[in-house]
Amino acid sequence: MNTVLKCNKMTMKFGGLTAVNEFSVEIPEKEIFGLIGPNGAGKTTVFNMITGNLQPTSGMIYFYDKPIVGLKPYQVVSLGMARTFQNIRLFTNLSVLENVLTGFHHKLKYNLLDTILRLPRFSKNEKIMTEMAMDLLESVNLQDKANHKASELPYGDRRKVEIARALATGPKMLLLDEPAAGMNPQETMSLMYFIEEIRDKFDLTILLIEHDMKFVMSLCKTIAVLDHGVKIAEGKPEEVQKNPDVIRAYLGDINA
Amino acid sequence: MNTTLILQQLFNGLALGSLYGLIAIGYTMVYGVIRLINFAHGDVMMVGTYIAILAVSVLLLPWWAAFLLTIFATAFVGVVIDKIAYKPLRNASRISSLITAIGVSFFLENLFLVIFGGVPKSFPIPALFSGTLHIKGVILPVISIIVPIVALAFLAILMYILHNTKYGIAMRALSLDMDTTRLMGANVDAIISFVFAIGSSLAAAGGIFWALKYPSINPLMGIMPGLKAFAAAVLGGIGSVPGAAIGGFIIGIVEILAVALFPPLAGYKDAFAFLLLIFVLLFKPTGIMGEDLERGRF
Amino acid sequence: MKRNQILTILSIILLFLFLWYANNNLSAYYIRILNNTAIFLMLAASYNLINGVTGQFSLEPNGFTAIGAYTAAILTLTPAQKEAMFIISPMVPWLQNLHMSFFPALIVAGIVTAIVGFLLGFPVFRVRGDYLAIVTLGFGLTIRVVSNNTISITNGPLGLKGIENYTNLWWTWGFAVVTLIIIMRLINSEFGRAMKAVRDDEDAAIAMGINTFKIKMIAFVTSAFFEGVAGGLLAHLITTISPTLFTFFLTFNLLIIIVIGGLGSMTGTAIATILVVWGSEILRFVEQPMHIFNFTIPGIPGMRMVIFSILLIVIMIFAREGIMGQKEFSWDSLFKLFKTKKVANK
Ligand SMILES: Nc1ncnc2c1ncn2[C@@H]1O[C@H](COP(=O)(O)OP(=O)(O)OP(=O)(O)O)[C@@H](O)[C@H]1O
Ligand SMILES: [Mg+2]
Repeated sequence: MNTVLKCNKMTMKFGGLTAVNEFSVEIPEKEIFGLIGPNGAGKTTVFNMITGNLQPTSGMIYFYDKPIVGLKPYQVVSLGMARTFQNIRLFTNLSVLENVLTGFHHKLKYNLLDTILRLPRFSKNEKIMTEMAMDLLESVNLQDKANHKASELPYGDRRKVEIARALATGPKMLLLDEPAAGMNPQETMSLMYFIEEIRDKFDLTILLIEHDMKFVMSLCKTIAVLDHGVKIAEGKPEEVQKNPDVIRAYLGDINA
Repeated sequence: MNTTLILQQLFNGLALGSLYGLIAIGYTMVYGVIRLINFAHGDVMMVGTYIAILAVSVLLLPWWAAFLLTIFATAFVGVVIDKIAYKPLRNASRISSLITAIGVSFFLENLFLVIFGGVPKSFPIPALFSGTLHIKGVILPVISIIVPIVALAFLAILMYILHNTKYGIAMRALSLDMDTTRLMGANVDAIISFVFAIGSSLAAAGGIFWALKYPSINPLMGIMPGLKAFAAAVLGGIGSVPGAAIGGFIIGIVEILAVALFPPLAGYKDAFAFLLLIFVLLFKPTGIMGEDLERGRF
Repeated sequence: MKRNQILTILSIILLFLFLWYANNNLSAYYIRILNNTAIFLMLAASYNLINGVTGQFSLEPNGFTAIGAYTAAILTLTPAQKEAMFIISPMVPWLQNLHMSFFPALIVAGIVTAIVGFLLGFPVFRVRGDYLAIVTLGFGLTIRVVSNNTISITNGPLGLKGIENYTNLWWTWGFAVVTLIIIMRLINSEFGRAMKAVRDDEDAAIAMGINTFKIKMIAFVTSAFFEGVAGGLLAHLITTISPTLFTFFLTFNLLIIIVIGGLGSMTGTAIATILVVWGSEILRFVEQPMHIFNFTIPGIPGMRMVIFSILLIVIMIFAREGIMGQKEFSWDSLFKLFKTKKVANK
C-alpha cells in the first residue's frame, strides 16, 4: 500500500528543551493512525511540524513522497493536509457557514477584479462554495446553525465545525488533535463512527491524537506512543497495550 | 576627518546610544511580559523631565534629590498608567490595548501642551554636569562621559535583579509563559507593575540625561527618542534587556557617525532609526539577542 | 436581492439630490464641512479595513494622505506655477514638466500611495507581531522629515501653494461612495472572510490554507490607495499644503471614528464620521473663551485633543464594541425590524 506520510528522524528543540526527538513514522493510505502519550510528550509538536506551523530543528517529512519541510502552513494545506486544534480554534466572529467557507480559500476561483466588479465568475463561485459548505455542514448535522456566530455554539458543535472546516480544504490527510476531548461517552461514540464515515466518504488518511484509550484502541489500526519526545512503541492496539515501556510511561505519569 | 574627531563623535554616539538604551529597556520589558507596544513610553520619559524641572525650579531641591524624586515619581506614573489604562484590557484583543496605548500617549502629550504650552522650557544644568574634559586633544562634554557610565551601572543593577531576585526570575518566567507562571502561584499583577515601575524609572533617568544633553524640553520631546528607542529594542531583539541596551548603542553611534561623516545627511538624521527598523525587520526580525517571542503556540 | 439593489441605488440618488440642494443653498462653511465629511468617510472606511476588518493595528493615514496630497498637487500644478514657486532650489526637471488633469492625478496619487503601502507592508507582514503600528507611526514622522528636506521635489518647508481648487461636493462624495462600495464588496467576498479570519485567529487562518501575508497586503494596499486619493482631494480642497499639515492628529481623529463606530463595521464608520466631524466643529467652543453669567473662562487651546484622547481610552475600556460592533446595516435587517415592530404593535 502507498505511504502517505513519512517522518524521518524529526526533531524539535525549544531552547534547551527537546520536545520531540528523532521521531520517525510511516502512515499508509486510508489508515486511521493513533498518536498517544502522556501530557507534554510532544504530540501536538509533532502535528505542528507536519503542518508547517513549526520548522523542525532537524529531520525530514514526506507527504506522498514530496518533502514538505520548510513549506508554509498554507502551502501544506494546498498539498492536501488539514488539521484541527487541541483547543478548538474557530474564527469566533464569523458565522458557522463563513468558517467552513474559509476552508475553500486556497482554491479560490475568482480574483480581486471579479470581486470588485461583481462579475459573473464571482457570483457563480460564491454560490458553488456556499452549496458545498452547506453540504459539509449537513454531513456534521449543523445545517440549521449555518448563520449562527461560531462563538455562540456549544462545545461539541464547535468541534464539528472545526472538522467541517478542515474537510472544506479538500484534504487527502486529516490531522485531529484530541477530537474527543471534553465529550461525554455518547458523543465520543458517535464521533468514532463519524471519523470512520468521513474516512470512507472522502478517502482520507487520518492521524489522530487522543487521550481516551478506549477511543483510540477501537478506532485506530496502528498506534505510536510518544514519551518525553521519544517514540517508545508502535504497533497494533493490543500489542501496544501490553508493551512494558508504555505501561511504565503512563504509570510514571500518574505517579508524578 | 581625523581620528580625534571620530573618537569624539564615537563618545557622543555612545552617550546618545545609552539614552536610547535606557528608554528601550522599558519597551522591551513591557513587551516581554504583556506583549504590548507601550506607545506612551516615550511620553513617560517626557513626563519625567517635567517632574525634574518642577523638582529643581519649584521645589528647589538639590540636583541629586530632584533626580531621586523624579525616578520614583515617574515609576509611579508608569504603574498608574498600567493600572488604569492597560490592566482592564489584559484579556481583550491585542488591538484594544494597542489603541489604548496610543490614546495614553496622545493624552500625555496634549495634557502637557495644555498645562505647560508648546514653548520649549530650558532645563537647569547643575555645574557638575556642564564642563568639558580635554583628553589628549579629544574634547568631551562631561555629560557624555557620565551618561554611558550611569546607563551601564543601571543595566548591571537590572541584570542582577533579573537573574538573582525572586521578582526578577518570576519576571523572566512570565515573559516566556504567562499562564504557567500564574499557575505556579506567582502574583502576575505585581510583577507587571514592577516591570512598569522599572521601565518608567529608567525612562525618567533617560529623560533627565536627555534634558541635560539637549536642555530644551517640550511636551512632544518624547516622540522621536521613543521611536528610536523602540527601533533599538527590536534591533536588540524584543524581549531581551541586554539586547535593548546594545540596540540603543548601535542606533546612537550610527546616527552620530553618519551625520559626522556625511554632513548633508544631517537633515535626515531622524529618519535613520526608521530605516534601521525596516532593515532589521527585513533581515533579522528576531533581532540580535532575541528569541522568536511570536512563535505561535497551539 | 433585486429589491435591495434598487433601494441602495435610490438612496445614493437621494444623497446626490441632497448634495445638489446643499451646493446651491448652503453657505461655504457648511459646504466645507460636507466636503470634509466625505473625505473623512473615505479615510475612515479605508482605515477600518486594515484595523477593524483585518485586525492589523496601523497608524498610516497621516503619512499616506501626505503622499497622496503631494503627488496629486505636483501633478496638477502647471510647469509655470512650479517654476515660480520653487525658489530655494528648482524642481527636478522630470517632475517640473509633468502635468495632468485632476482625475488622472488623483488616480496616480492613489497608485503611488499604494506602492508605498506595499513597500512598508512587505517587511512588516513577513514577521508576526504588532510592528505595523510602530512602522507606520515612524513612517508618518519620517515623511515629514523627508518632505522638509527633499526641497527639489516638495519645495521643503515652504510647501506647495496655488493648487487649483478642483475639489467640490461631487468629487468628494462621488469618491466616498465608490470607496465604500468597493470596500463593502471586498468585505463580502472570500477575501473579506479571510481578512476577518486573520483578525480572529491568525494561526488558524494560516492552518486553513490562507496566505495571511497576501491577505494583509491586499487590505493594506487597498487602504493605502484610497487614502492616497483622499489626500489628493484634500490638497485640491485646501489649495496649500506643507509638511506640517499632515500630523498625527489626523490619524488620531480617524482612530476615534473607527473605534466609536465599531472596529470592523463600515456602517458604524459612516455614523461615527458624521458624529466626529460635526461634533468636533461643535467642540471648538472649549478652545474659545466662554462667558457664563459674569465670568469669562479663557479658552484652552489643545483641550479638544485632551478630551478626544480621554474619550478614546474610556471607549476602549468600557465600550469596546462602539456603536455597531462588527454588525453592518442591511435592508433585510431593516425590514425585519419593521416587521417585528408591527407584530409587537398588534
Ligand atoms: N511553541 C513552543 N515553544 C516552547 N515550548 C513549547 C512550544 N510548544 C510546545 N512546547 C513544549 O514542548 C513540550 C511538548 O508539548 P506538546 O504540546 O507537543 O505536548 P502534547 O504531547 O501535545 O501534550 P498534551 O497532551 O498536554 O497536549 C511541552 O513541554 C511544551 O511546553
Ligand atoms: Mg497537545
